[in-house]
Amino acid sequence: MAIDINKVLNTLGIKEVNLGVSTGQNWHKTNGAITSSSSPADGKEIAKVKNATIEDYEMVVNMAQEAFKEWRLVPAPERGEIVRQIGLELRKYKNELGALVSYEMGKIFQEGLGEVQEMIDICDFAVGQSRLINGVSLQSERKEHRLFEQYQPLGIVGIVTSFNFPVAVWAWNSALAAIAGDVVIWKPSSKTPLTAIATQRIINDVLAKNNVPEGVFNLIVAKSSVMGDNFLADKRIPLLSVTGSTAVGQRVGGIVGKRLGKTILELGGNNAVIITPHADIKMAIASTVFGTVGTAGQRCTSTRRIIIHESVYDQVRDSMVNAYKSVATKIGNPLDEDFLVGPLIDIHSVNNFKNSVSEVQKEGGKILFGGEVMEGKSFESGNYVMPCIAEAENHYKIVQEETFAPIVYLIKYSGDIDDAIEINNNVPQGLSSCVFTLNMREAEKFVSAVGSDCGIANVNVGTSGAEIGGAFGGEKDTGGGRESGSDSWKIYMRRQTSTFNHSEELPLAQGIKFDF
Amino acid sequence: MHIDKNITIEDLVDEFPFSVNFLSKKGIKCIACGEPIWGTLEEACLEKNFSQEEIQKFVDELNGLKNN
Repeated sequence: MAIDINKVLNTLGIKEVNLGVSTGQNWHKTNGAITSSSSPADGKEIAKVKNATIEDYEMVVNMAQEAFKEWRLVPAPERGEIVRQIGLELRKYKNELGALVSYEMGKIFQEGLGEVQEMIDICDFAVGQSRLINGVSLQSERKEHRLFEQYQPLGIVGIVTSFNFPVAVWAWNSALAAIAGDVVIWKPSSKTPLTAIATQRIINDVLAKNNVPEGVFNLIVAKSSVMGDNFLADKRIPLLSVTGSTAVGQRVGGIVGKRLGKTILELGGNNAVIITPHADIKMAIASTVFGTVGTAGQRCTSTRRIIIHESVYDQVRDSMVNAYKSVATKIGNPLDEDFLVGPLIDIHSVNNFKNSVSEVQKEGGKILFGGEVMEGKSFESGNYVMPCIAEAENHYKIVQEETFAPIVYLIKYSGDIDDAIEINNNVPQGLSSCVFTLNMREAEKFVSAVGSDCGIANVNVGTSGAEIGGAFGGEKDTGGGRESGSDSWKIYMRRQTSTFNHSEELPLAQGIKFDF
Repeated sequence: MHIDKNITIEDLVDEFPFSVNFLSKKGIKCIACGEPIWGTLEEACLEKNFSQEEIQKFVDELNGLKNN
C-alpha cells in the first residue's frame, strides 16, 4: 500500500513553514533562521522551520523554571495520568508519525512504526513507574530516630536527540522526566525537526485538556550557534541527556562537568557479534543481518564487527554474503513496504561510508560484498549504498572507529571464548555486544565479570535494538549513561537522605559527646 | 556568508558542504554519527593541534573554494 506523504503531513499539522518553538500548548513566533528539512529518500524538501533565537531560548527556560514550581507539586500518579494520555494519543497517530519518521530520517516504514511503538511502550512503563517512585527506610544507629531516603524532582531536563531515533529518544527521556516531576526542553536534530514538531503537536491536545502548565514540555528547534555551549553551560538546567557521537559527548561532558551538572550520555558504539563453534549458525546469520543492515547501519547498536571462530568462519562468511545478495534486491524507498533498507541520512554519510570502504582496503582488508553507491532510477537522491562486508583485523584504525553506515567487518578468532571476548572488548567504545552459542559455559562467561565490557551483553540475541524495560546505555567512549527502563528514572530525580528524631534526647552520630 | 574561524561546524556543513571533504583531508572530521560535531572551525582545528596561521590558511582556502 502506497503511503500518501502529503496526507501524512496534513494529518500531523505540518505546514509549508512551521514554527520551531513551543512551550506545550503554545507555539511561539520567532525571528530565527528559516531552515528546510529534506527527505533522504528522494532529496525533496518536505517543509521549512523557523528556528529559535537566543531570546526565544531565554523565554522558554524562564517559562520552564516557572512551570517546574507547579509541576513538582502535582502528585506523581497524576503526572503519570498525563503520560498515559500521551501514550494513547501516540497510538492514534502511530501510522502517520511512523511514516514521517521514515520519510524524514530514511528508516523503513516498519522501523518507523517500531520507533513510535517504543514511545508508546515507554509511556506505559512511565505510568507504572509513577506509582513506584519509592525510597528506602533504613535502621538508624540512634534510639527513636528514623533514617530514610526519598527522591525529589530535579528541575529542567535538557534533551538533545539525534537524527537516527528522532522521536523515541525524546520519549525515553521525557516520559520518565515528566513522571519524576521534571520539565523538559527538547533540542531535536537539525536533520529531523519535523518529526519533533509533529510529536509536539500530537501532545498539544493532552496538555490542553488537562491544564498542564505551559513550560512542562518544551521544544526548541535551533542552530548550535543559538543553543549550543550556552545550553550546556546553563546552570538552570541540572540534567542534560545527549544522544550523539563520542566527540559531541566529550564536549558536553566537559562543559556540564565544569559546572558539576548531571549528564546522560548515549554516544557511539562499535558493537560486535561473537559466533562460536557452538552457535546455531542459522539463527546467528538471521539476527546479524538485521543488526548490520537494519536502519542502513545507522543505529547506535548496529553490528559493526562479527568475531567468528576459525572452525565456522568459512560457513558464516559464505552465509553472510548469500544473505546480502538477497538484501541487495530490497534496497529502496523506505516508505515502500517491499524494501528492507533505505537511504543514508545525507551525502556526508555516504562519503563516510565510501571512505571506510577505501580505508579498510588500504589497511589490508578485503571487500567481500558491496561498498558501492547506488545509481539509477529510484536512487537519484544519491543517499543509497550497497551494504558492505569486509574481512579485516580488529587492530585496523578504521575498525576501531565507528562508521555510521552499513559496513561490517568479519574478524577471525582462534582458541576459546576468552580470545573472542578480548577482541570484543578491544575497542574504545562499549555499547552493545552479543554471543551466539548453545554452550552454557561460553554464554555465562560472556556475561560474567571477565566477559563483555559493554553496557549491553546479549546471548543469542543480536546487538541491534533493545526493549524499553531494561536500562539502555554503554561504557567507555559510549559515555556511561543509562536511560529508558529498570531504575533509570532515578537519574531524573534528586536523592535525599533524612534523619528524623522523635525522641526527647539529642544524641550525635558515632556517639560523639559535645556538651556545652 | 563569509567563512571565518568562528563559524560553527554546523553552519559550515550546511552552507558549504564542500568543507567536509576539505577538512577531512586535513584530518578534521566534521561529521560523527551522521551529525555535525559541535563547536567552531577554530576549535575543531585546535583539537588537531593546528596553529593560528594554519587555521587562517584553511579559512582563506575555504573562502577561495567558495568563490570558485
